[in-house]
Amino acid sequence: MSSTSQKHKEFVAEPMGEKSVMALAGIGEVLGKRLEEKGFDKAYVVLGQFLVLKKDEELFRDWLKDTCGANVKQQGDCYGCLREWCDSFL
Amino acid sequence: MPVFIEDPTEFSKEQLRAALISHNVELPPGESRKEVYVDLYLKHVRNKNSADFSSDDEDLEEEQEEEADMVDLGALTDDQLKKQLLRYGVKAGPIVGSTRALYERKLQRLMAHPLQSRVNGTRHAAKYSDSEVDEGEDDEEEEDDEEEDDDEEESGIGYKYTMFLSNIQLQLHILPSEPATDILMELFPDTATTPTGITATKRRSIKGAAGRPVKFKYTETPLSPASLERREIQQHLLPLWVQIIVFLLVAVLLCFIYILMEDGLENPFSAVLDSLSEQPIPDQLTLITSSQDVSTSETVAA
Repeated sequence: MSSTSQKHKEFVAEPMGEKSVMALAGIGEVLGKRLEEKGFDKAYVVLGQFLVLKKDEELFRDWLKDTCGANVKQQGDCYGCLREWCDSFL
Repeated sequence: MPVFIEDPTEFSKEQLRAALISHNVELPPGESRKEVYVDLYLKHVRNKNSADFSSDDEDLEEEQEEEADMVDLGALTDDQLKKQLLRYGVKAGPIVGSTRALYERKLQRLMAHPLQSRVNGTRHAAKYSDSEVDEGEDDEEEEDDEEEDDDEEESGIGYKYTMFLSNIQLQLHILPSEPATDILMELFPDTATTPTGITATKRRSIKGAAGRPVKFKYTETPLSPASLERREIQQHLLPLWVQIIVFLLVAVLLCFIYILMEDGLENPFSAVLDSLSEQPIPDQLTLITSSQDVSTSETVAA
Protein backbone atom coordinates (compact mmCIF):
# COMPACT_ATOMS: atom_id res chain seq x y z
CA MET A 1 0.00 0.00 0.00
CA SER A 2 2.97 2.24 0.43
CA SER A 3 3.88 1.97 -3.23
CA THR A 4 1.46 4.00 -5.24
CA SER A 5 0.19 2.74 -8.52
CA GLN A 6 -0.27 4.74 -11.66
CA LYS A 7 -4.01 4.65 -11.07
CA HIS A 8 -3.55 6.05 -7.61
CA LYS A 9 -1.43 8.92 -8.88
CA GLU A 10 -3.89 9.73 -11.60
CA PHE A 11 -6.81 9.70 -9.21
CA VAL A 12 -5.29 11.91 -6.55
CA ALA A 13 -3.91 14.36 -9.09
CA GLU A 14 -7.19 16.12 -9.80
CA PRO A 15 -10.75 16.57 -8.54
CA MET A 16 -12.70 13.40 -9.18
CA GLY A 17 -15.57 15.08 -10.97
CA GLU A 18 -17.79 12.48 -12.55
CA LYS A 19 -15.20 9.73 -12.72
CA SER A 20 -16.52 6.22 -12.65
CA VAL A 21 -16.00 4.04 -9.64
CA MET A 22 -13.44 2.06 -11.58
CA ALA A 23 -11.11 5.04 -11.58
CA LEU A 24 -10.45 4.34 -7.91
CA ALA A 25 -7.20 2.59 -7.17
CA GLY A 26 -7.80 -1.03 -6.25
CA ILE A 27 -11.16 -1.15 -7.99
CA GLY A 28 -10.95 -2.95 -11.29
CA GLU A 29 -13.48 -4.31 -13.74
CA VAL A 30 -14.92 -6.96 -11.48
CA LEU A 31 -15.18 -4.99 -8.26
CA GLY A 32 -16.37 -1.98 -10.21
CA LYS A 33 -19.21 -3.99 -11.68
CA ARG A 34 -20.23 -5.25 -8.28
CA LEU A 35 -20.19 -1.78 -6.81
CA GLU A 36 -22.24 -0.45 -9.70
CA GLU A 37 -24.81 -3.13 -9.13
CA LYS A 38 -25.17 -1.92 -5.57
CA GLY A 39 -25.62 1.63 -6.72
CA PHE A 40 -22.09 2.87 -6.19
CA ASP A 41 -21.57 3.80 -9.80
CA LYS A 42 -19.45 6.92 -9.37
CA ALA A 43 -16.28 7.45 -7.42
CA TYR A 44 -17.96 10.22 -5.44
CA VAL A 45 -20.60 7.82 -4.13
CA VAL A 46 -17.84 5.70 -2.66
CA LEU A 47 -16.30 8.88 -1.34
CA GLY A 48 -19.60 9.60 0.38
CA GLN A 49 -19.51 6.28 2.12
CA PHE A 50 -15.88 6.83 3.01
CA LEU A 51 -16.76 10.16 4.58
CA VAL A 52 -19.83 8.96 6.42
CA LEU A 53 -17.59 6.36 8.07
CA LYS A 54 -15.48 9.29 9.21
CA LYS A 55 -12.51 8.16 7.14
CA ASP A 56 -12.08 5.23 9.50
CA GLU A 57 -9.80 2.73 7.84
CA GLU A 58 -11.10 -0.35 9.60
CA LEU A 59 -14.73 0.39 8.91
CA PHE A 60 -14.14 1.38 5.33
CA ARG A 61 -12.16 -1.76 4.64
CA ASP A 62 -14.94 -3.81 6.18
CA TRP A 63 -17.51 -2.08 4.10
CA LEU A 64 -15.58 -2.56 0.89
CA LYS A 65 -15.12 -6.20 1.64
CA ASP A 66 -18.81 -6.62 2.32
CA THR A 67 -19.97 -4.68 -0.68
CA CYS A 68 -17.75 -6.02 -3.42
CA GLY A 69 -15.54 -8.64 -1.83
CA ALA A 70 -12.33 -6.68 -2.17
CA ASN A 71 -9.20 -8.34 -0.86
CA VAL A 72 -6.84 -6.75 1.60
CA LYS A 73 -4.65 -5.14 -1.01
CA GLN A 74 -7.58 -3.76 -2.95
CA GLN A 75 -9.09 -2.38 0.24
CA GLY A 76 -5.82 -0.71 1.12
CA ASP A 77 -5.38 0.80 -2.33
CA CYS A 78 -8.88 2.16 -2.39
CA TYR A 79 -8.66 3.52 1.12
CA GLY A 80 -5.28 5.12 0.50
CA CYS A 81 -6.38 6.75 -2.68
CA LEU A 82 -9.54 8.23 -1.16
CA ARG A 83 -7.73 9.42 1.91
CA GLU A 84 -5.04 11.12 -0.12
CA TRP A 85 -7.62 12.66 -2.39
CA CYS A 86 -9.37 14.08 0.65
CA ASP A 87 -6.13 15.42 2.02
CA SER A 88 -5.59 17.47 -1.07
CA PHE A 89 -9.09 18.40 -2.18
CA LEU A 90 -11.42 18.40 0.77
CA MET B 1 -51.04 -3.77 31.80
CA PRO B 2 -53.99 -5.73 30.56
CA VAL B 3 -52.06 -6.67 27.45
CA PHE B 4 -50.19 -9.67 28.74
CA ILE B 5 -53.10 -11.17 30.52
CA GLU B 6 -54.79 -11.84 27.26
CA ASP B 7 -53.82 -14.40 24.73
CA PRO B 8 -51.64 -12.84 22.04
CA THR B 9 -53.27 -14.97 19.40
CA GLU B 10 -56.45 -13.02 19.92
CA PHE B 11 -54.77 -9.76 19.08
CA SER B 12 -55.15 -8.22 15.71
CA LYS B 13 -52.12 -7.94 13.54
CA GLU B 14 -52.03 -4.19 14.11
CA GLN B 15 -52.12 -4.58 17.87
CA LEU B 16 -49.27 -7.05 17.77
CA ARG B 17 -47.28 -4.81 15.55
CA ALA B 18 -47.80 -1.84 17.85
CA ALA B 19 -46.78 -3.91 20.85
CA LEU B 20 -43.64 -5.06 19.10
CA ILE B 21 -42.72 -1.56 18.06
CA SER B 22 -43.23 -0.28 21.57
CA HIS B 23 -40.82 -2.94 22.78
CA ASN B 24 -38.16 -2.08 20.24
CA VAL B 25 -38.46 -5.38 18.48
CA GLU B 26 -37.58 -5.46 14.83
CA LEU B 27 -40.65 -6.16 12.77
CA PRO B 28 -40.71 -9.07 10.36
CA PRO B 29 -40.75 -8.20 6.66
CA GLY B 30 -43.89 -6.61 5.27
CA GLU B 31 -46.31 -9.39 4.44
CA SER B 32 -45.60 -11.87 7.22
CA ARG B 33 -48.32 -14.04 8.64
CA LYS B 34 -49.86 -13.42 11.97
CA GLU B 35 -48.07 -16.39 13.54
CA VAL B 36 -44.75 -14.71 12.98
CA TYR B 37 -45.93 -11.71 14.91
CA VAL B 38 -47.31 -13.86 17.69
CA ASP B 39 -44.03 -15.74 17.96
CA LEU B 40 -42.08 -12.53 18.18
CA TYR B 41 -44.53 -11.17 20.68
CA LEU B 42 -44.25 -14.20 22.89
CA LYS B 43 -40.50 -14.22 22.62
CA HIS B 44 -39.78 -10.57 23.27
CA VAL B 45 -42.70 -8.98 25.03
CA ARG B 46 -44.17 -11.71 27.17
CA ASN B 47 -40.83 -12.99 28.48
CA LYS B 48 -39.86 -9.59 29.65
CA ASN B 49 -43.10 -8.90 31.37
CA SER B 50 -43.13 -12.17 33.22
CA ALA B 51 -39.50 -11.88 34.16
CA ASP B 52 -39.79 -8.45 35.61
CA PHE B 53 -43.09 -7.72 37.23
CA SER B 54 -42.16 -5.23 39.86
CA SER B 55 -39.72 -3.10 37.95
CA ASP B 56 -40.79 0.27 36.75
CA ASP B 57 -40.48 1.32 33.17
CA GLU B 58 -36.95 2.54 33.41
CA ASP B 59 -35.62 -0.74 34.71
CA LEU B 60 -37.54 -2.58 32.11
CA GLU B 61 -35.98 -0.50 29.41
CA GLU B 62 -32.52 -1.03 30.71
CA GLU B 63 -32.99 -4.72 31.05
CA GLN B 64 -34.26 -4.81 27.57
CA GLU B 65 -31.20 -3.01 26.38
CA GLU B 66 -28.87 -5.42 28.08
CA GLU B 67 -30.74 -8.37 26.81
CA ALA B 68 -30.62 -6.97 23.35
CA ASP B 69 -26.84 -6.76 23.62
CA MET B 70 -26.62 -10.39 24.31
CA VAL B 71 -29.14 -11.66 21.91
CA ASP B 72 -29.58 -9.41 18.98
CA LEU B 73 -27.81 -6.22 18.11
CA GLY B 74 -30.30 -5.70 15.34
CA ALA B 75 -32.93 -4.84 17.91
CA LEU B 76 -31.02 -1.81 19.14
CA THR B 77 -32.06 1.55 17.91
CA ASP B 78 -29.43 3.67 16.24
CA ASP B 79 -29.04 5.80 19.33
CA GLN B 80 -28.67 2.79 21.60
CA LEU B 81 -26.09 1.33 19.29
CA LYS B 82 -24.18 4.55 19.35
CA LYS B 83 -24.34 4.66 23.13
CA GLN B 84 -23.10 1.10 23.37
CA LEU B 85 -20.17 1.88 21.11
CA LEU B 86 -19.33 4.88 23.21
CA ARG B 87 -19.22 2.59 26.19
CA TYR B 88 -16.40 0.75 24.50
CA GLY B 89 -14.65 3.99 23.75
CA VAL B 90 -15.63 4.14 20.10
CA LYS B 91 -16.99 7.39 18.87
CA ALA B 92 -19.30 6.31 16.11
CA GLY B 93 -20.10 8.45 13.16
CA PRO B 94 -23.60 8.75 11.77
CA ILE B 95 -25.38 5.44 11.99
CA VAL B 96 -27.40 5.22 8.83
CA GLY B 97 -28.55 2.43 6.60
CA SER B 98 -25.24 1.97 4.88
CA THR B 99 -23.12 2.12 8.03
CA ARG B 100 -25.28 0.37 10.59
CA ALA B 101 -24.23 -3.17 9.76
CA LEU B 102 -20.58 -2.19 10.07
CA TYR B 103 -21.07 -0.62 13.45
CA GLU B 104 -23.07 -3.60 14.65
CA ARG B 105 -20.25 -5.90 13.69
CA LYS B 106 -17.73 -3.64 15.30
CA LEU B 107 -19.69 -3.63 18.53
CA GLN B 108 -19.96 -7.38 18.38
CA ARG B 109 -16.23 -7.66 17.93
CA LEU B 110 -15.66 -5.28 20.80
CA MET B 111 -17.94 -7.31 22.99
CA ALA B 112 -16.14 -10.48 22.06
CA HIS B 113 -12.77 -8.94 22.84
CA PRO B 114 -13.72 -6.39 25.44
CA LEU B 115 -10.20 -5.84 26.68
CA GLN B 116 -8.25 -6.09 23.51
CA SER B 117 -5.98 -3.14 22.89
CA ARG B 118 -6.64 -1.86 26.35
CA VAL B 119 -4.30 -0.66 29.01
CA ASN B 120 -1.55 -3.09 29.92
CA GLY B 121 -2.29 -5.48 32.71
CA THR B 122 -6.04 -5.05 32.72
CA ARG B 123 -6.61 -7.73 30.16
CA HIS B 124 -6.82 -10.50 32.66
CA ALA B 125 -8.20 -8.50 35.53
CA ALA B 126 -11.78 -8.87 34.41
CA LYS B 127 -11.57 -12.56 33.77
CA TYR B 128 -12.47 -14.95 36.46
CA SER B 129 -12.35 -18.69 36.38
CA ASP B 130 -13.43 -18.74 32.78
CA SER B 131 -10.30 -17.13 31.42
CA GLU B 132 -9.16 -20.24 29.61
CA VAL B 133 -12.40 -20.72 27.84
CA ASP B 134 -12.40 -17.10 26.94
CA GLU B 135 -8.97 -17.09 25.46
CA GLY B 136 -9.57 -20.18 23.46
CA GLU B 137 -12.62 -18.59 22.03
CA ASP B 138 -10.78 -15.38 21.39
CA ASP B 139 -8.18 -17.06 19.26
CA GLU B 140 -10.76 -18.94 17.35
CA GLU B 141 -12.64 -15.78 16.75
CA GLU B 142 -9.60 -13.99 15.45
CA GLU B 143 -8.92 -16.74 13.01
CA ASP B 144 -12.47 -16.61 11.85
CA ASP B 145 -12.12 -12.93 11.25
CA GLU B 146 -9.11 -13.53 9.10
CA GLU B 147 -11.03 -15.88 6.88
CA GLU B 148 -14.63 -14.83 6.52
CA ASP B 149 -17.26 -13.64 8.87
CA ASP B 150 -19.68 -16.30 7.76
CA ASP B 151 -18.51 -18.86 10.32
CA GLU B 152 -19.37 -16.59 13.18
CA GLU B 153 -22.63 -18.35 13.68
CA GLU B 154 -21.00 -21.76 13.69
CA SER B 155 -18.95 -21.31 16.82
CA GLY B 156 -22.41 -21.64 18.30
CA ILE B 157 -23.02 -22.10 21.96
CA GLY B 158 -19.45 -21.53 23.07
CA TYR B 159 -19.37 -18.26 21.29
CA LYS B 160 -22.70 -17.11 22.64
CA TYR B 161 -21.61 -18.20 26.06
CA THR B 162 -18.48 -16.10 25.83
CA MET B 163 -20.43 -13.14 24.69
CA PHE B 164 -22.83 -13.63 27.50
CA LEU B 165 -20.05 -13.89 30.07
CA SER B 166 -18.14 -10.90 28.84
CA ASN B 167 -21.34 -8.98 28.81
CA ILE B 168 -22.11 -9.85 32.39
CA GLN B 169 -18.62 -8.89 33.40
CA LEU B 170 -18.93 -5.60 31.66
CA GLN B 171 -22.27 -4.85 33.11
CA LEU B 172 -21.08 -5.75 36.56
CA HIS B 173 -18.24 -3.35 36.27
CA ILE B 174 -19.67 -0.57 34.28
CA LEU B 175 -23.21 -0.20 35.42
CA PRO B 176 -22.69 0.71 39.09
CA SER B 177 -20.39 3.56 38.26
CA GLU B 178 -22.06 4.49 35.07
CA PRO B 179 -22.41 8.23 35.50
CA ALA B 180 -18.76 8.58 36.36
CA THR B 181 -17.51 6.47 33.51
CA ASP B 182 -19.73 8.26 31.09
CA ILE B 183 -18.28 11.58 32.02
CA LEU B 184 -14.78 10.20 31.92
CA MET B 185 -15.46 8.65 28.58
CA GLU B 186 -16.65 11.95 27.30
CA LEU B 187 -13.62 13.71 28.65
CA PHE B 188 -11.14 11.14 27.47
CA PRO B 189 -12.69 9.23 24.63
CA ASP B 190 -9.41 7.56 23.74
CA THR B 191 -8.57 6.13 27.11
CA ALA B 192 -9.45 2.61 27.99
CA THR B 193 -11.98 1.61 30.58
CA THR B 194 -10.69 -0.72 33.22
CA PRO B 195 -12.81 -3.12 35.17
CA THR B 196 -12.38 -1.16 38.35
CA GLY B 197 -13.70 1.95 36.75
CA ILE B 198 -10.47 3.73 37.53
CA THR B 199 -8.93 4.98 34.38
CA ALA B 200 -5.22 4.90 33.95
CA THR B 201 -4.19 7.87 31.94
CA LYS B 202 -0.83 9.02 30.86
CA ARG B 203 0.77 11.68 32.93
CA ARG B 204 0.36 14.92 31.18
CA SER B 205 2.26 18.10 31.48
CA ILE B 206 0.26 21.12 32.47
CA LYS B 207 0.51 22.37 28.96
CA GLY B 208 -0.85 19.11 27.63
CA ALA B 209 -3.79 19.28 30.00
CA ALA B 210 -4.84 22.47 28.38
CA GLY B 211 -5.03 20.68 25.06
CA ARG B 212 -8.26 18.95 25.96
CA PRO B 213 -11.17 19.23 23.59
CA VAL B 214 -12.30 22.78 23.25
CA LYS B 215 -15.77 22.29 24.63
CA PHE B 216 -14.34 21.35 28.02
CA LYS B 217 -12.14 24.34 28.36
CA TYR B 218 -13.30 26.84 30.92
CA THR B 219 -14.98 29.73 29.34
CA GLU B 220 -13.31 33.01 30.04
CA THR B 221 -14.74 34.94 32.88
CA PRO B 222 -16.91 37.72 31.62
CA LEU B 223 -15.04 41.00 31.54
CA SER B 224 -16.35 44.33 32.61
CA PRO B 225 -16.78 46.86 29.82
CA ALA B 226 -13.97 48.97 31.21
CA SER B 227 -11.42 46.21 31.13
CA LEU B 228 -12.60 45.18 27.69
CA GLU B 229 -12.00 48.73 26.55
CA ARG B 230 -8.61 48.74 28.15
CA ARG B 231 -7.75 45.49 26.45
CA GLU B 232 -8.84 46.89 23.14
CA ILE B 233 -6.71 49.93 23.65
CA GLN B 234 -3.79 47.78 24.65
CA GLN B 235 -4.10 45.88 21.44
CA HIS B 236 -3.71 49.06 19.49
CA LEU B 237 -0.72 50.25 21.50
CA LEU B 238 2.86 49.58 20.52
CA PRO B 239 4.79 47.06 22.55
CA LEU B 240 6.42 48.25 25.72
CA TRP B 241 10.01 48.21 24.56
CA VAL B 242 9.16 50.43 21.60
CA GLN B 243 7.49 52.85 23.95
CA ILE B 244 10.57 52.95 26.19
CA ILE B 245 12.90 53.53 23.28
CA VAL B 246 10.75 56.33 21.94
CA PHE B 247 10.58 57.88 25.37
CA LEU B 248 14.36 57.73 25.73
CA LEU B 249 14.85 59.22 22.30
CA VAL B 250 12.54 62.09 23.07
CA ALA B 251 14.23 62.63 26.43
CA VAL B 252 17.68 62.69 24.86
CA LEU B 253 16.47 65.06 22.19
CA LEU B 254 15.00 67.41 24.76
CA CYS B 255 18.22 67.34 26.77
CA PHE B 256 20.21 68.07 23.69
CA ILE B 257 17.99 70.98 22.75
CA TYR B 258 18.14 72.30 26.31
CA ILE B 259 21.91 72.22 26.34
CA LEU B 260 22.08 73.85 22.96
CA MET B 261 19.61 76.47 24.04
CA GLU B 262 21.63 77.23 27.14
CA ASP B 263 24.70 77.81 25.03
CA GLY B 264 22.65 79.71 22.50
CA LEU B 265 21.11 81.87 25.22
CA GLU B 266 24.46 82.95 26.46
CA ASN B 267 25.91 83.64 23.08
CA PRO B 268 23.67 86.10 21.33
CA PHE B 269 22.24 87.85 24.33
CA SER B 270 25.47 88.15 26.27
CA ALA B 271 27.11 89.50 23.18
CA VAL B 272 24.40 92.10 22.88
CA LEU B 273 24.50 92.82 26.57
CA ASP B 274 28.24 93.04 26.48
CA SER B 275 28.20 95.35 23.61
CA LEU B 276 25.52 97.42 25.34
CA SER B 277 27.19 97.47 28.71
CA GLU B 278 30.68 98.03 27.40
CA GLN B 279 29.94 101.20 25.44
CA PRO B 280 28.37 103.37 28.11
CA ILE B 281 30.96 102.65 30.77
CA PRO B 282 33.73 104.92 29.46
CA ASP B 283 31.31 107.82 29.02
CA GLN B 284 29.98 107.43 32.49
CA LEU B 285 33.42 107.10 33.79
CA THR B 286 34.51 110.21 32.02
CA LEU B 287 31.37 111.94 33.19
CA ILE B 288 31.96 110.82 36.69
CA THR B 289 35.55 111.68 36.60
CA SER B 290 34.84 115.03 35.04
CA SER B 291 32.16 115.79 37.59
CA GLN B 292 34.42 114.63 40.28
CA ASP B 293 37.02 116.78 38.78
CA VAL B 294 34.65 119.70 38.84
CA SER B 295 33.63 119.03 42.40
CA THR B 296 37.15 118.62 43.56
CA SER B 297 38.15 121.71 41.77
CA GLU B 298 35.18 123.50 43.31
CA THR B 299 36.10 122.32 46.80
CA VAL B 300 39.64 123.26 46.13
CA ALA B 301 38.48 126.67 45.01
CA ALA B 302 36.30 127.07 48.06
